[in-house]
Amino acid sequence: MAATTESVKADAAEAPLLNKRNLIFAVAIYCVFYAWVRWYEGVYGWSAGLDSFAPEFETYWMNFLYIEFVLEVSTAGILWGYLWKSRDRKVMSITPREELRRHFHHWVWLVAYGVAIYFGASYFTEQDGTWHQTIVRDTDFTPSHVIEFYLSYPVYIITGGGAFLYAKTRLPTYQQGNSIQYMVATVGPFMILPNVGLNEWGHTFWFMEELFVAPLHYGFVFFGWSALGVLGVVGIEVAAIAKLLKKDLA
Amino acid sequence: MSASQSAVRSRAEAVKVSRTFDWLICFTLFFVVLGGYHVHFMLVAGDWDFWVDWKDRRLWVTVLPIMAITFPAAVQAVLWWRYRIAFGATFCVMGLLFGEWVNRYFNFWGWTYFPINFCFPSQLIPAAIVLDVILLMSNSLQLTAVMGGLAFGLLFYPSNWPVIAPLHQPVEYNGMVMTLADLLGYHYIRTGMPEYIRMVEKGTLRTFGKDVAPVSAFFSGFVSIIIYFLWHFFGRWFGSTAFTTAS
Repeated sequence: MAATTESVKADAAEAPLLNKRNLIFAVAIYCVFYAWVRWYEGVYGWSAGLDSFAPEFETYWMNFLYIEFVLEVSTAGILWGYLWKSRDRKVMSITPREELRRHFHHWVWLVAYGVAIYFGASYFTEQDGTWHQTIVRDTDFTPSHVIEFYLSYPVYIITGGGAFLYAKTRLPTYQQGNSIQYMVATVGPFMILPNVGLNEWGHTFWFMEELFVAPLHYGFVFFGWSALGVLGVVGIEVAAIAKLLKKDLA
Repeated sequence: MSASQSAVRSRAEAVKVSRTFDWLICFTLFFVVLGGYHVHFMLVAGDWDFWVDWKDRRLWVTVLPIMAITFPAAVQAVLWWRYRIAFGATFCVMGLLFGEWVNRYFNFWGWTYFPINFCFPSQLIPAAIVLDVILLMSNSLQLTAVMGGLAFGLLFYPSNWPVIAPLHQPVEYNGMVMTLADLLGYHYIRTGMPEYIRMVEKGTLRTFGKDVAPVSAFFSGFVSIIIYFLWHFFGRWFGSTAFTTAS
């Protein structure tokens, strides 16, 4: 009797398998933040972002750039450092239920990565097309680039790195080595950021017009393909979850 | 971990867990594939897709299906060949169109003020459905690549025709004959993309008049077959679950 009561109490106190609050918060934080960013672009893109030699450009865009650099480096350092520092050193001895809970938590990370990739690779990248085909650039740090290259790309890189580190430090599935496709899905999109160097060099050397299909942009295309590495991650996850549930679903 | 312990308390919970993972996977796959597909598509075919005055009878018809069949082929290679999910191509194209429509509305219209009927995305859903149905019915890589790839190229122009036809009507303006789409382009100035960059109606094929679009579609279908094969194997590689050896 006492043992049963204890067991029920333990179950009631146990954390849920999927923390829905975390999931909703993860998606909402990106959407709210990027809605604010889009509002900022709308207001200060036209009023302060057309001439990089104007004082208001320094105020509204270069200062934005400096602030985001500092915040991104500190966020990456703190987040990745925390995930590594708090790693589970006995990860192979966790219970199946705890493993399942961690897979759910891992998927909260992956959902966040999906949202971050969407905003970076889709929303702000195509936005860059319409801005630069409309406005002639006179700097590498245009309003569009300050957001696209130096904000939305680092955000998905930080999120992808967080997902990878979470899997690597807390899930038994990823202890056998490094998943090649997980690395492709996180390192590939990361490489889009260094490729900005080629893009900016090319735009200052060859042409300032914006032809989106110009070969100068093919580096972005090549590394964009690596997002398909998520198919391999799904394969690993489906196998791991199926193994945990197989007995009960049979 | 102990093999005798169970991760769930009951079969009902196992079913619920399984369904929840399905939704999480579906959501993530949709947005990650969307991101990769969109960045690929906008940078290899985007200009023809952004603006109606780029949507000509030749390069638009040729380039877009060839570049659009890539991710559907790769995703089908995993979703169908591993999980027997039959909507890989449509799933990709729906993602791409979601990304494009959101962008055209909030950014092309909302930030740079081009009207939507000047910058709407091309229609790819009918061709993607046909690609999925051919795979579903045939369960054959070869047949899907050859018949599906060809259909993907051939169907592109007809599926866009209802929306593009009014904009391809000829107009006379200052003594010059041009399409209504061209005229829109001349009025909506894009300073960063001047007229000398626009690639439309190039080459001698245009002298064949009415044959331009069908010949371009046929050529596009031919290349789409080859691209389908290639990207099917890319997809298989991306779907692999190998690990590097732990030290």
